[in-house]
Amino acid sequence: MKVLVINAGSSSLKYQLYDMRDESVLASGRVERIGMDSSIVTHEPADKPEVRDVSEILDHVTAVKKVIDMLTHAEYGAVATMDEIQAVGHRVVHGGEVFNSSTLVTPEVKLEIRRLFDLAPLHNPAHMMGITAVEANMPGVPQAVVFDTAFHQSMPNTSYLYPIPQVLYRRHKVRRYGFHGTSHQYVSQQGAELLGKPLKSLKMVTAHIGNGASCTAILDGKSFDTSMGMTPLEGLMMGTRSGDLDPAIVPFVMNKEELTLNEVNSMLNKHSGMLAISGISSDMREVTEAMEEGDRNAKLAFDMYTYRVRKYIGAYAAAMNGIDVLLFTAGVGENSSALRKAVCDGITFLGIELDEEKNAKRSKEARVISTEASRVKVLVVPTNEELLIARDTYTLVQAQAAGETNV
Amino acid sequence: MSIKKVGVVGAGTMGQGIAEMLASKGLDVHLIEISEERLTYGQQMIELSLDKQIEKWALTQAEKKLIMNRIHMTVSYDALAECELVIETITEDLESKKAVISQIDDICGADVILASNTSTLSLTELASASAHPERVIGLHFIYPVLKIDLVEIVRGLKTSEDTFASTKHFVEEIIHKKGVMVFESPGFVTSRLICLFINEALHVLEEGVASAEDIDSAMRIGYSFQHGPFEMADRFGLDSVLAALDRMFREYGELKYRPSIVLKKMVRAGQLGAKTGVGFFKYDKDGDRI
Repeated sequence: MKVLVINAGSSSLKYQLYDMRDESVLASGRVERIGMDSSIVTHEPADKPEVRDVSEILDHVTAVKKVIDMLTHAEYGAVATMDEIQAVGHRVVHGGEVFNSSTLVTPEVKLEIRRLFDLAPLHNPAHMMGITAVEANMPGVPQAVVFDTAFHQSMPNTSYLYPIPQVLYRRHKVRRYGFHGTSHQYVSQQGAELLGKPLKSLKMVTAHIGNGASCTAILDGKSFDTSMGMTPLEGLMMGTRSGDLDPAIVPFVMNKEELTLNEVNSMLNKHSGMLAISGISSDMREVTEAMEEGDRNAKLAFDMYTYRVRKYIGAYAAAMNGIDVLLFTAGVGENSSALRKAVCDGITFLGIELDEEKNAKRSKEARVISTEASRVKVLVVPTNEELLIARDTYTLVQAQAAGETNV
Repeated sequence: MSIKKVGVVGAGTMGQGIAEMLASKGLDVHLIEISEERLTYGQQMIELSLDKQIEKWALTQAEKKLIMNRIHMTVSYDALAECELVIETITEDLESKKAVISQIDDICGADVILASNTSTLSLTELASASAHPERVIGLHFIYPVLKIDLVEIVRGLKTSEDTFASTKHFVEEIIHKKGVMVFESPGFVTSRLICLFINEALHVLEEGVASAEDIDSAMRIGYSFQHGPFEMADRFGLDSVLAALDRMFREYGELKYRPSIVLKKMVRAGQLGAKTGVGFFKYDKDGDRI
């Protein structure tokens, strides 16, 4: 079966086409600047050179049509006809409290995703446009939705509730949802496989560190706690996001600087984090380079960033009463040996012993970077959210075809 | 019809604000002025406003660039041909506005909505300059346009139901502001009430009841206004307040609209408020109170 994976944003759409027989990527690409008269489609077929096309794409329906044209193109397409694409899987950021696993798209599911617009105003409406655009272009093709929050629905209420008036939870569903769930789930499974142990037997902390960053405590194979909260602003210090801070700072600064809600939101999401402290960049590579050249602000940013990662690992080890595996993933987690070293060197008391040579080696493979003697295994596992979306979609559609109702 | 390209005629204070707000909402804007100098000035003012937002952490440099890229400046009306909505925001003078409306009318197709940002003039009379008066409507934005999420949608006598419905949809669904429907009447709701408020404050000041500073504090703190009547007048521009009062005085013929003598004196002296640095209070070049 061939499965198309779509990640629709408000003005962009990324896609991958998988052949599920061997989970190979047949083609991938992205549409940018949707809604403009000069939209750009970048299509990358496997084993063929990349194709770029600029045209007017005013909405998501046209964007999906363009993607299908690319995928079925005689010269650089990946399939002969559209019929070969038998299922479509979508990434959806917010699944609220309703969705604790991936699911097939039905009218009820669409209604629920709409109800969640309030909680993810930037993301869910765009995902919805992706779903309706596929319906318009590929009628009858089953679609599945995979939620960033679903994996974390297993958290106990001691993890997900905030100690504020509970009427806010009842009225507005103010609680911790957590994000990057697809990634935390995927890498934890891969990590357990790499160690040759059942995931359920491992107390694991997964650190997804990219532009956005979050840590998850995984107990019995399930998310027990995670650092992002109701929105992706809570938790670790990130590229441009503040992460944890005293909530009283918000009204205090709004008052002192006469800021509006928009301004303070933008300040915490786009002008904070590593960018604010280093004054140089939100990019870990640039900050690390500047630090190596002796820039003091860059060093401070790096130290604060890694310190906060350490604090979360310590907290989660305490939360689970132990830790067997520490796992790094995503852009920074997979590539920055300096970050991994800085994090691990400060928490040796937990039984973490980094193998410096293994840590320094660059690789695209999942690997162990702790010493043989290290009680806690430290892993680097490349994340692949698209593949997990393709797998879930494939499983759901197959099960449906087999006449099962509950998956 | 979905509105994606909007023409804005006039790059004065309101034109700048409207263009900046529309571009921030992701729309393409054609901003038109009568001379290159005025265009350049308009562009500088918009950039200044965006820079102030960056200082307040509301925007990033990349977002500023995106917004500026969406604003196309030109002295030619030709660009209006591809717009779905054109907003006229030139000086508040009936004959000049009629001339501009007739000029836009010649270039735009009959289904294009033609909106005027007038606050006091007769929409019906402005519409008479168009061959299609049913597509002419009022869109009264309030300064500062980016921050105030209210627009008065003004219906002239001949404004069609379609024009109104599309305009209301544009205001509420595309630029996400609250649209209140008002019928043609000098000053509509907002200008009429606020100018009377300012005028009455001037009378209180003239009578020596309290100082400008104390009157402002009383209303600001006592009734949760963001600014008191005098700072409000300084920020609108005292000349604009005077012009609005004058027009309403003429139209309604009631004494309560007669502009206060103090206001007239200050306008004659060129103390127009924040934009000249001096009004009832003093301001720096960024418009902040000193």
